[in-house]
Amino acid sequence: MKQEDVIKIQAWLDGELAGSEAESVERLIAQDGEARALFAELRWTKSALAQGELERAVPESREFYWAKIERAIRATETAKPAVLNRPWVGLMVRWFAPAGIVAALVLLLVLPMLHQSRQQPWIAGAEIESPLNDVGSITFRSEAEGMTIVWVNTH
Amino acid sequence: MPQKDDYAARDDDSLVRAAKQGDMAAFEELVDRHRDKLYARAFSMVRNEEEAIDLSQEAWVKAWQKLGQFKGGSSFLTWMTRIVINLCLDHLRKQKHPVSLSIEQLDEETGGVERQMPIVTVDPTEGLTREELRRRIDDAMGKLTHAHRTVLVLHEFEGLEYKEIAKKMGCSIGTVMSRLFYARRRLAALLADLQQERQQ
Repeated sequence: MKQEDVIKIQAWLDGELAGSEAESVERLIAQDGEARALFAELRWTKSALAQGELERAVPESREFYWAKIERAIRATETAKPAVLNRPWVGLMVRWFAPAGIVAALVLLLVLPMLHQSRQQPWIAGAEIESPLNDVGSITFRSEAEGMTIVWVNTH
Repeated sequence: MPQKDDYAARDDDSLVRAAKQGDMAAFEELVDRHRDKLYARAFSMVRNEEEAIDLSQEAWVKAWQKLGQFKGGSSFLTWMTRIVINLCLDHLRKQKHPVSLSIEQLDEETGGVERQMPIVTVDPTEGLTREELRRRIDDAMGKLTHAHRTVLVLHEFEGLEYKEIAKKMGCSIGTVMSRLFYARRRLAALLADLQQERQQ
């Protein structure tokens, strides 16, 4: 038998095959003695496991076992900020806190720009210094078009 | 404040509702009711008493914190079992030191070893009481590797499909099928050996 076939026998047993694949496995089991024996072994193993796992009792007293759980729960609860224990405050914090942070950031970025634009026009009128001696420049500013053009002359 | 006897008479759903409101005594009753089953599941996976106790307790703490997420789509015990299984899987992952695979392990992954195992034609579990059968299966499972035991627990005890197991174990469906096949064949051989030992 091919490895592919033995895996398919198992998949068929587990109900993971359908249609033509399932039919081909059925045919294989009917025709091949080795396939039939393997299927039988897999089936009794599966039904043995279906009896479930061995029952086990916690090897500790009820009180001792619970005490550790309770201690851990109380430790995590006291570590939480008190406001989170109140559902409506939690909701406020969850929704409004991020929105507040975003608003504050936007204000921080926009306010200085507004302030600067009121004090001096944007680009127009700003002085451009050149570190090179032989470089000259001519600037044209059209207020109507809202446009500034700078010609740079290197000769 | 309800008395302890009152809690014992209530069903899981009622206790969960009370626990969601912060009633820790109701939660304690749930722990008392299901602790053995969760411990047994953790033990099946990690095969160590202390680790199984710790992991099952950790599952209860996590459950208390996430009770709000339990909507009752499954039973409370099923929900709890999933938590303990996930914790055990994380624990096993952390413990694993994947330096290299032995030739036998490589063979298991690619499906070589199990093909050489003789087929067990006589069912060695026939005629056993349920308790004895469970005991023998438990003995045999203790001899499997973590990877093979885990796949058996998830498929046979937890009833998960191949793709769900693959997702949980972080491997391909093909690997799950191969591991499951090897685990079953090895288990069959171990059960046959146990039967022979008892007869001698």
